[in-house]
Amino acid sequence: MVIEIPKRVEDLPTSNPRWVGHRVERKEDSALLTGRTQFIADVVVPGMLHCAILRSPLPHARIAKLDTTDAAALPGVVAVVTGEDALRWSQPAASAPEGWGTHCLASSVVRYVGEPVAAVAATSRYVAEDALERIVVDYDPLDAVADPFAAMEAGSPLVIEEKGTNVMMQRLFTWGAVDDAFAQAAHVFTEKFRWNRLGANPMETFGAVCEWDPMSLDLTVYGSIQAASFFALGRAATFGIPSNKVNVKSQPHGGSFGGKGGTRGTDITCLLSRKAGGRPVKWIEDRMEYLTSGGSQAWDRHYEASLAVDAKAQVTGLRVKLVDDLGATGEGYAAISAAKPLAAFTGPYTIPVAEYDLTLVATNKLPAFPYRGFGPPPHFFVLEQMMDIAARHLDIDPAEFRRRNFIASDQFPYTIPSGNEYDSGSYEEVLDKALALADYADLRAQQARAREEGRIVGIGVASAIEPGVFDWNAYRTVGVPGIGVPEGATVSIDILGMITVRVGFSLEGQGQYTLASQLVADYFGTHIDAVRVVQLDTQSSPPSFGPGGSRLGVAITGAVLGACERIRQKMCAVTAALMQTEPSNVQLRDGKFTVEGMPGVEMSVAEVAGTMLARSDLLPPGIDPRPEATHVWTAAGRTEPDEQGRAKSYLTAAQAVHVVMVEIDRDTGVVEILKYCLADDCGTRLNPLVVQGQTEGSVAQGIGAALFEEYVYDEDAQPLTATFMDYLIPTINEIPPTEKAEVVTPSPFTPLGAKGCGEGAIHTTPAAVMCAVNDALAPLETMAREVPAAPSRIWNLIRSTQS
Amino acid sequence: MKPAPFEYLAPTTVVEAVTALQEFAGEAKVLAGGQSLMPMLNMRLARPGLIVDLGQVQDLDYIRESSGRLAIGAMTTKRSVERSALVQNHQPLLHAATTSIGHPQIRNRGTVGGSMAQADPAAEYPATAVALDATLRAIGPNGERSIRAEDFFVTYLTTALEPGELLTEVSVPMFGARTGWGFSEITRRHGDFAMAGAAVTVSLDEAERCTEPTIVLFGVGPTPVRVRNAEDLVRDERPGDTLCDSVGRQVSEEIDEPLADVHASAEYRRHLAGVMARQALAQALARAAASGDGAT
Amino acid sequence: MTTTLPVRLTVNGVQHVAHVEPRTTLADFLRAELQLTGTHVGCEHGVCGICTVLVNDRAVRSCLMLAVQADGANLMTVEGLAGPDGKLHPIQQAFVEEHGLQCGFCTPGFLIAIYELLENNPSPSESEILDVLGGQICRCTGYQSILRAVHSAAAKLGATGSGTAQESA
Repeated sequence: MVIEIPKRVEDLPTSNPRWVGHRVERKEDSALLTGRTQFIADVVVPGMLHCAILRSPLPHARIAKLDTTDAAALPGVVAVVTGEDALRWSQPAASAPEGWGTHCLASSVVRYVGEPVAAVAATSRYVAEDALERIVVDYDPLDAVADPFAAMEAGSPLVIEEKGTNVMMQRLFTWGAVDDAFAQAAHVFTEKFRWNRLGANPMETFGAVCEWDPMSLDLTVYGSIQAASFFALGRAATFGIPSNKVNVKSQPHGGSFGGKGGTRGTDITCLLSRKAGGRPVKWIEDRMEYLTSGGSQAWDRHYEASLAVDAKAQVTGLRVKLVDDLGATGEGYAAISAAKPLAAFTGPYTIPVAEYDLTLVATNKLPAFPYRGFGPPPHFFVLEQMMDIAARHLDIDPAEFRRRNFIASDQFPYTIPSGNEYDSGSYEEVLDKALALADYADLRAQQARAREEGRIVGIGVASAIEPGVFDWNAYRTVGVPGIGVPEGATVSIDILGMITVRVGFSLEGQGQYTLASQLVADYFGTHIDAVRVVQLDTQSSPPSFGPGGSRLGVAITGAVLGACERIRQKMCAVTAALMQTEPSNVQLRDGKFTVEGMPGVEMSVAEVAGTMLARSDLLPPGIDPRPEATHVWTAAGRTEPDEQGRAKSYLTAAQAVHVVMVEIDRDTGVVEILKYCLADDCGTRLNPLVVQGQTEGSVAQGIGAALFEEYVYDEDAQPLTATFMDYLIPTINEIPPTEKAEVVTPSPFTPLGAKGCGEGAIHTTPAAVMCAVNDALAPLETMAREVPAAPSRIWNLIRSTQS
Repeated sequence: MKPAPFEYLAPTTVVEAVTALQEFAGEAKVLAGGQSLMPMLNMRLARPGLIVDLGQVQDLDYIRESSGRLAIGAMTTKRSVERSALVQNHQPLLHAATTSIGHPQIRNRGTVGGSMAQADPAAEYPATAVALDATLRAIGPNGERSIRAEDFFVTYLTTALEPGELLTEVSVPMFGARTGWGFSEITRRHGDFAMAGAAVTVSLDEAERCTEPTIVLFGVGPTPVRVRNAEDLVRDERPGDTLCDSVGRQVSEEIDEPLADVHASAEYRRHLAGVMARQALAQALARAAASGDGAT
Repeated sequence: MTTTLPVRLTVNGVQHVAHVEPRTTLADFLRAELQLTGTHVGCEHGVCGICTVLVNDRAVRSCLMLAVQADGANLMTVEGLAGPDGKLHPIQQAFVEEHGLQCGFCTPGFLIAIYELLENNPSPSESEILDVLGGQICRCTGYQSILRAVHSAAAKLGATGSGTAQESA
């Protein structure tokens, strides 16, 4: 059976799609709006206990004494676990790079403030927290290291002593004749940058309810989990139990943005359940736990970058040196975020050669976790500042400098020096649309007038690539094995023509259940309300990874359309048998099967389904009688990385140009965004309403990153950012409205030509805002090299220019 | 983040409340609007044995004119203050401070008394009280007393209230015809606690010279900081930009031990104090001049 | 032995009597005792606004109230917004049309805060809207669609004229 997934919306068997490509209201909404959606904190399992976790107050120490006797004796406490139980019943966490994971509960050494040392299961979270206060722990403090450069020096305290070093990985990638390019360049620009820790902060923290039967070792985990099947395999490995004994039921969750890993809390809760005789135990991470000890922190980076430019203002080489502070372990797979830039290393430009000097370092800070974008956003901040540095020096308008260096439309598919292939693009058209939307010439005139009045006003024009539809091969360089990320869907039609789609992932906010319904409804010519999407747990679902790496819109489209195709082929065979003709004479269009050469003869989808279900006696031999099919979609053509990490990894490349105008208050250093315009191209927009939402949401996160969000540690590796008063998530008052334009350059490689767009504007926004800030500061001959551009930092820069 | 256990009392009279506070002195905390105390309870930073909830106490929720001043009951919500015609018309500085506090959802519960008694260095009300020379009335085991605002705020989160004493009322002046006021604060986000802020009042005499200036800074020290040397620069002077600039510089120099936290270094705070003072003074002078022309 | 106190309150028109420990927050009481899990918990220190419910017609953070403080009070949670037949309230309908939610976790808090705003002020000014919305944090939407939903909801509820409530002097 050859399955051809339609490459364009026009290829769907519908004359006039009612749903695909339209702004369709989401089916998910009514349950969410009425409070009926069951998030993990709402899950109640009979006999359920509640977990609270005792955490280290020190960044590095030996546990000299741990006494849980009084805690266990508190009425309402059913079980207590410590590092001993973790050693007995679990393995160290999987990590990237491999071998940099530790057990979920510390037993002899704690390595970061917030590391779990004990946990309690009790009749309520209130009682569990009371019990924590009765646990006696004596620590012998050890020297801690908070700075990655100090951590790399000989004699530094070692975070994991057995490793003998704090350097998790050090590697130099060289793509092309980089030394030659820099030696022959007309201009070389070099600069250093600092990107401070920030992270996902979904409004819902992590949570799990775990039931681990001590006899059978069957494990059931309910959770606010982003990649359920992956998570299930991880639990099987961690606990050394057969993979078919683990069942993960992921709940709809309140956002993730990469941060819903939560393995430690889950594993601790599993241990408690086993210790409590298999009773279900619930752990809901509270916000302070999340901020200081959860999957909350990412991208703690020190950059040095160089750009080589020839006499014709063409960029001929890019060097990036990154020291990435991953915190105490690699359990958050944050190493991936350092590898992912390979997928789009040179951005939207024709830079022919590049080099990446990458060092991953451990310190006594919280292990870093993923955050939306998973690595490229800081990389693009750096690249775009370098482009502007060059443009300023060469006295070329930054928009024009980019235009001259863009990959041209006829150059796609385009392989970049670091090996990935961009599928398609119309970068110049996107630039033109963004500049037109912003009325760029007028903005520059406004800026000139403002400068005459002594105001500090800047305009940033930035462009970045959003790699979409990830593959594991992109991360081989940091020790993550594998290739191929499947997504499966089962579509079935009942006797009345109602359609059910079974998937293996839970809702996270990007509207994929609506998308699946749109696709099926248009494919079979039915109303979207006739389609229902059902989530299955990992035990029952088709192969599924779920959301991540801007993949799911494309992947679920492939899976759903593939399943529809299989059903169509079966139904054509059934219709042909009933009409006594060849299947090749039967077509599906607008919900009807018709036969060439037999005008007036037609069968509706419901009729065919009904016949298959009720009259299997009429079906030709050998045909599967169910109007149902499963298809698993995996991106084709992914390659093994070579010795320089080059591989076809991310399947799609969306692109955007943002134009931002800012004003800096000379007295206070406050950056205000005066205007925000953007144009973006993510291929076919399957639900423009959802795409707009992703754009607006990721712009807000990008502004948060550029101006507000930062986790601060003191020099003793103590976290100072413990509440929402310290970590500043923007409110509506900090986010300006954005004007948006779109270009649609379909992907030649994907179902319906859509590209991944879920991570969206976070790739471009921090770069654009910082370009604007530095454009504003340029006449003062100073530059903001550190993100976020908090008022105190900008004020210090301005002050340093005044004699 | 769940509170540690405590006993709870919801008295219906002030006497009952004071008796309970006295009996459990040191062990009891007063619960007013809860916007400051509840986070501390949830984080177990506060672990009182007894919570005395004033929510049912009669006669602490009022705003009325009394002997030419505005008397505001301690349990009056900030929402009530914000919407009060009396406050809008006669105490616009207090009104401006009120609308700067958090968001309407916070102001629905937060109380005037609670904010004063909390004495958060970055809060708007304590500095405004000092700028207005407000009188705070308290009832305790030894009876009633009045405390001037400048004596009320002792240090970080600490007031002059004795154990067993309850704040019952805040009394503020009603502004006269030629009183100008200014209020300026800088926050990281709209509604956040201020990194620095200033509350300023000043009047103009018949000769258009400044009289009775008060310049009070918040967010820059353990208590509101009244900068008398800066006030001296203003007194008897004519309004003007150079005056505001010099006051700003004076305030910056005067700030002693500015707080340092993740949002602002001590140095930056010191600088912001001067900027806020300058801005608030400019506003106050503009208002004082305008009110003299009959405009409000 | 932990002392419990009686709490009598009305939630979404239904009267309840319960006994709770004084330290139980209103948010936890609504969710665990009354199984009204539509009110979510986001930070437990009063910044995010996700736990916002209506108490005696006022939008308040339920993580910053003790359940016992709601004795005698009249509450509305998100479950009380839609009609008994399931028909969405105009504010909810506006959220659907304007895509004012993505993951939906913060949405109940927004709905209650907006409900209070529009009940008291059918034609709010932009700054009044932003003041209320500024007290609720969303991580998914970037807020623009929520603002559009508020305008749409105000129109649906029949805003009259352009007068505003209680502008400051």
